[in-house]
Amino acid sequence: MSLHRNSRKYHKWLMLFIGLQFVVWSASGTYMVLMDIDYIHGDSLVVEQKQTIVPEQVNYSFKQLLTEHPQAKKIELGLMLNKAVYRFSQNNEKVTVSAQDGQIISPISEGIATEIAKQNYADKSVVISSVKLITETSLRELNARHLPVWRVDFDDFASPSFYISAYSAQLVTKRHSFWRIFDWMFAFHVMDYVDESPDNKLLRIVSILAFIASIFGLVLTYYRLAPTYQKRRKGKSRRVKLN
Amino acid sequence: MKKNNKKTSKYFKLSTIKSLHKWLSLLVFIQLFIWLGTGIFFNWMDHDKASGNHYRQAMVKQDIDHQRLLDPQAVLTASQSGASEITLVQRLGQPYYLLTHDKGLYKHFDSLFSLVDAYTGTVKEIDIEMAAALAQSSYSGSGKIASTSLVVPPIEDFLKEQNSLWQVNFSDELETSVYINASSGRLVGHSNEDKRFVDFFFMLHFMDYPLFGQDAVGGFNNWQISIFAILTLLFCLTGLIWTLELLIKGRYKFK
Repeated sequence: MSLHRNSRKYHKWLMLFIGLQFVVWSASGTYMVLMDIDYIHGDSLVVEQKQTIVPEQVNYSFKQLLTEHPQAKKIELGLMLNKAVYRFSQNNEKVTVSAQDGQIISPISEGIATEIAKQNYADKSVVISSVKLITETSLRELNARHLPVWRVDFDDFASPSFYISAYSAQLVTKRHSFWRIFDWMFAFHVMDYVDESPDNKLLRIVSILAFIASIFGLVLTYYRLAPTYQKRRKGKSRRVKLN
Repeated sequence: MKKNNKKTSKYFKLSTIKSLHKWLSLLVFIQLFIWLGTGIFFNWMDHDKASGNHYRQAMVKQDIDHQRLLDPQAVLTASQSGASEITLVQRLGQPYYLLTHDKGLYKHFDSLFSLVDAYTGTVKEIDIEMAAALAQSSYSGSGKIASTSLVVPPIEDFLKEQNSLWQVNFSDELETSVYINASSGRLVGHSNEDKRFVDFFFMLHFMDYPLFGQDAVGGFNNWQISIFAILTLLFCLTGLIWTLELLIKGRYKFK
């Protein structure tokens, strides 16, 4: 019976140290699988845009743009609040210009950013609670490559925020409370308490110990449920009763 | 010590907790070992290999002659279905206008594009030769093209992709496949044996099993994982209560 006794001992002791992480894994995992991932991404908050460019609005050509901005890369003709605009990269920064006359529009004002956020938000009855310009970030929910951005907060269920790039005048990120919780859950799931990446040492050590502890647990399940050992256990307790 | 025991038994029966823990262990142990095993694998694996981009290279860009670029107004007028975007892109060193007729929220969502030669205005279809040439220009390995075919979703290498893609297979030791969007000619990505191996482990971790007539979807929102997650949560909680009981009873001591 030494395997049985040893398994009980090791299972007991190992779980004292890593049992809590098992609860964290299963709780965070349950949250992540029960939440619809498209909802988490905020896709349902955004209205589908169906507008097309009106040819008459485009009086400024790619040729003229490249003559005026020879360094322009990734040039695209698109829409901003139903008006034709060009967007391009220059020295790793986005620039937005009017397709009517080539006038530089970016960086956009608070008023325009608010209008863009409203146009993209699916529920038109919701009001905006705050708008602010963000030029530096340490937030987990906003990638620094999008800076500078206007953060537009909506007064709606789960406090949604839309981030509108001040340079490209486009919706670049959408967040809400359940995304924020999801992000924390993922961090707990991969144990990035100190180290940020999923291949951190802490996770490695704890998951290997968890595997070993679980094998001892499986041995215990076997002894608990295997018919031969069940009989012995029952016999024992009957003897105790007789005493 | 006896006092403590009485206190806990007011809220729940410890024997029930222990019996639950025992029976739940029997229900979840196989998947639990799969989760732990694949979890350890994700932690150890080579993340560069897992990307499938071993033979991927940047496509060469050529300088374009600005003066020859067509007026976008004319391109828009000539296009039968309207466009929400026109992007100046290069395909095999040639400039094209990429017209977006229908665009999903993300690149892999259902979309419709067309390509127009930016110098002449002729519409360019991504045919099999074009697809093969585009794939070749993104490939740095020594393998030759073994086959090229048009594939429709669901596509095993990119399960979330909703658009038709050209699949270009190379005969190399990694079984590299290159995918090109059939309407835009955009490089969707590379895949190879290493990536497929990792994808298989993700399928196991997400319980994304092709069961009972449903296909794997490349995600973790499925009913089987929802059930197992809740059972496993109960399993872990009962275990935690058991551990706490042992602690309170003073059963943790060095002998």
